[in-house]
Amino acid sequence: MTSPAATTVDPQLLEILVCPLTKGPLVYDADAQELISKQAGLAYPIRDGIPIMLAEEARELDADSA
Amino acid sequence: MTGPEAIFDRALMRQRRERIAPIFDAHDFLFREIAVRLAERAGDVRQNFPLALDAGCRTGLFTQVAKEMIPEKIGTYILSESTPSFARTAHQRTGAPTVIADDETLPFAPARFDLVASCGVLQGLNDVPGALLQMRQALRPDGLFLGALLGGETLFELRQALLAAEAEIEGGASPRVAPFAELSDAAGLLQRAGFSLPVADLDPIDVSYENAFKLMHELRGMGETNARLDRRRTPTRRATLLRAAEIYSARFADAGGRIHASFDVFFLTGWAPADSQPKPLRPGSAQTRLADALDTTERPLDEKTGAAFPLRQPKPETS
Repeated sequence: MTSPAATTVDPQLLEILVCPLTKGPLVYDADAQELISKQAGLAYPIRDGIPIMLAEEARELDADSA
Repeated sequence: MTGPEAIFDRALMRQRRERIAPIFDAHDFLFREIAVRLAERAGDVRQNFPLALDAGCRTGLFTQVAKEMIPEKIGTYILSESTPSFARTAHQRTGAPTVIADDETLPFAPARFDLVASCGVLQGLNDVPGALLQMRQALRPDGLFLGALLGGETLFELRQALLAAEAEIEGGASPRVAPFAELSDAAGLLQRAGFSLPVADLDPIDVSYENAFKLMHELRGMGETNARLDRRRTPTRRATLLRAAEIYSARFADAGGRIHASFDVFFLTGWAPADSQPKPLRPGSAQTRLADALDTTERPLDEKTGAAFPLRQPKPETS
C-alpha cells in the first residue's frame, strides 16, 4: 500500500538535509534513490521515500566515483 | 568522536524499540500525554511556526496531536526518528516528510526551522549537550526549542522496590532505573547549548497501575526498559520480581490497592538567539537610581563583604 507520495522524496526535505557526519551538502541520485555525501564518501539510501541518514546503513563510495 | 561518558546502550534501545513497534500503540499513553502538554505549550506562544521539526518523533505523536490541537500554529512538519519502524509508521500516519536519523547526529542544515520539538527523547541520550546544540543550530534566529524529557524523581517507587527486593533476595543490588537529570541541570544545559531566555519547569504525571507487573509490562511496551550500559546481564530471579512487586504494593499503593508511579516531566523552552530579543543592560548603564525608585536613602556598601548592611560577625568563642 504505497501511495505515489510515499515513493518520492519531498523536495523541501531534500533542501534541508545535510550529511549527519560532515554537515556538508548531499547530492540526490534519483535513479539509485541515494543521497551522496562526497565529503564523507558515503551514499545514504532512500527507502519508501524515507532517507536513512545513518552512517552504518550507508554505502561506501569507491575512490573513483567519489 | 569523543562525547561524554556513555550511560546508555543506544543500539540496545533501538533494537528494543524496533521489536516493540508493532505493539507500541497500546502503550503510548505516557508519551501521548507528554505530546499533548508540549503542544499546549506551543499553542501558548504568540508567534506562528511555518516550519517545524519533530525530532525523535516515535510514531509521530507530537505531530498528530499538534495538527489537531493547534492546526493554525504550525505550517509544515518534518519528522526525524532513529527507530526505522517508528519512522515508517510516523510517515504513514502524518503524511509528513520523515527521515531516519540518530537523535545525537542530526542531518539538518543550519538555521532552517522555526520550531524544534523534542518529545520524550532527551532522557535516553548519552550526549544531551550535543543534541541540544544541534537542535539550536537547526533553528532560525528567534526560532523556538520546545523539549519534554523525563527527569527528577521519575520511577523512584520502582527503583526503591527493585533495590530493596534485590538486596533482600540476592544479597546485592544492581542499577535498574536510568539516572535522571535534575531540573537545575536541564536549565543549565539549555544555557550551555546557547539558547536565549531558557526556561525549565516540572510537570509531574502520576499514573496508577493494578500492580508492579502491569507497570513493568507497560515500560516494556513503551520500549523503555533498563538500557544502562552498567546493567546486570543475567536474568533477574522470579523471586526477586515477586518480592519487588510486594514491596511496591506495601509502600506505594492507594486505598484501592492500585500502585502509583511518578513520572517527572521537565519542559524546556529556549530561543535561538536573535537581536530582537530582550537582553540585560550593561552594568553601570542605569539612568535612574534604584534608591529614588524605592523612595529610600542609599547606603554605602560594606567594603569588606559587599553587603548593604554590616553582616553579623561570628561571636568569639567564650569558655
